Amino acid sequence: MNKNGIAFSRFHPVSLFCYFLLLLLFTVFTQNPVLLTLALLGALLFNAATNTARQTLADIKFYVPMFLLVALVNPLFSHSGATPLFFMNDNPVTLEAVLCGVNIAVQLCAVMLACKAFSKVMESDKLLALFGKVSPKLAVVLSMALRFIPLLKRKWGEISEAQKALGYFREESVFSRLASYARVFSALVTWALENAVDTSASMSARGYELAGKKHFSLFRFTRGDGIMLALTVALSAVTLAGFLLGKADFAFYPRVSTVNTDIFSIITYAAFGILSLLPFIFEVKEVLKWKYLRSKI
Amino acid sequence: MKKDVIIFLLIIMLCAVFVLTTDFKTVDEYYLENAENIKEGDATVFISIRCDTVFDNAEKLAPALWEFVPEDGVILAETEYVLRDGDTVFDILTRAAKTRRIQMEYSGSAESRTVYIEGISHLYEFSCGELSGWSYLVNGEIPQLGASSYTLSDGDVIEWVYTCDLSRDILQGGVANE
Repeated sequence: MNKNGIAFSRFHPVSLFCYFLLLLLFTVFTQNPVLLTLALLGALLFNAATNTARQTLADIKFYVPMFLLVALVNPLFSHSGATPLFFMNDNPVTLEAVLCGVNIAVQLCAVMLACKAFSKVMESDKLLALFGKVSPKLAVVLSMALRFIPLLKRKWGEISEAQKALGYFREESVFSRLASYARVFSALVTWALENAVDTSASMSARGYELAGKKHFSLFRFTRGDGIMLALTVALSAVTLAGFLLGKADFAFYPRVSTVNTDIFSIITYAAFGILSLLPFIFEVKEVLKWKYLRSKI
Repeated sequence: MKKDVIIFLLIIMLCAVFVLTTDFKTVDEYYLENAENIKEGDATVFISIRCDTVFDNAEKLAPALWEFVPEDGVILAETEYVLRDGDTVFDILTRAAKTRRIQMEYSGSAESRTVYIEGISHLYEFSCGELSGWSYLVNGEIPQLGASSYTLSDGDVIEWVYTCDLSRDILQGGVANE
């Protein structure tokens, strides 16, 4: 049941879905830099541990420029804040806006990397098993949406190879090559639209929406899954309590507030930190176990 | 390849134009440049900025913002400024904010007369409830015009008032009757 070799994806879809749902909710609804850094750290470590070296390199190429862009754009548009650094066209560029931009960039990267981890761990059969009974349509849409990006990437490669065989992409000029990419992109979008329609037509031709249809899945809710779910809920409850008590509150405007460091705040940070690091911890545990068992042979 | 060089040069030129047309100033440069003396016979206007409506809606204001609310609610007591030809309410507010080091943020542009004052002295629209924001009166009345569209004449009295109830609290609260 563990095709992708990721330890964390061995859990039951219900446990995994609850885990990612809660993690993402907390990450999206906080501005606290400590919590966001922890969320980013957890997602970063898990992705680094499950990526190949080449994937990691591609990720760095994508996420680092995006991080910088988001961090730099915020002070250009947000002029709030009590500490102006300099004035641009009579509009202040403030320290608070710069820091807030960095924070937003951390948040964005954390959410995107967590979603990446989600799509790594939750394959389409898990989503179908999870939503198939409740809402078959939602299950198909979700599984199609999640597999869209990898599918498009593969198709992109196919189309550009076909175009190269036709003689495009020959020119050395960067801009002619850009024009070639635009052509590939337009072919890709057309294909994607057609493919989505085809898939749904094919699903209904096979009787996917018929009444009385049964779902088959191999997932069984074991004790380990129960413990995982309970752990997720317990850690989330502590974090939520911290949220409700205002321990995670943080504001950038008009002045950057200080991070709470009283005992309950630290408990909140710790609970959320463990929550966000859980997949990585499982990954490390599995590797250690494997090394240990091999050393005994 | 020749095409590439030309287009790259164009992009670099665009960036240069952007940087050169942007006016960069340090904080001190920005605030110092507006000191001016009023001479005898100059046309002048008066401007004041206040936020006393906040005290009636104290529970709606975020605690972090109290630091920026003066005790009597007067951010700028009535001050006289020279009226230059064609000065709008927005021009005078900008000048007052610069000479008195009052933080002010707006959206829109003065050239196209679409300025909207988002916040003064860190009090922004919606900072004190969902009906709050900055509003202005000229000679005790609220003109139904944008601040950058209202051209002033000699002796006008501008009041910038923070409202917590869509300007209703300004008109009833006695500012207009004073």
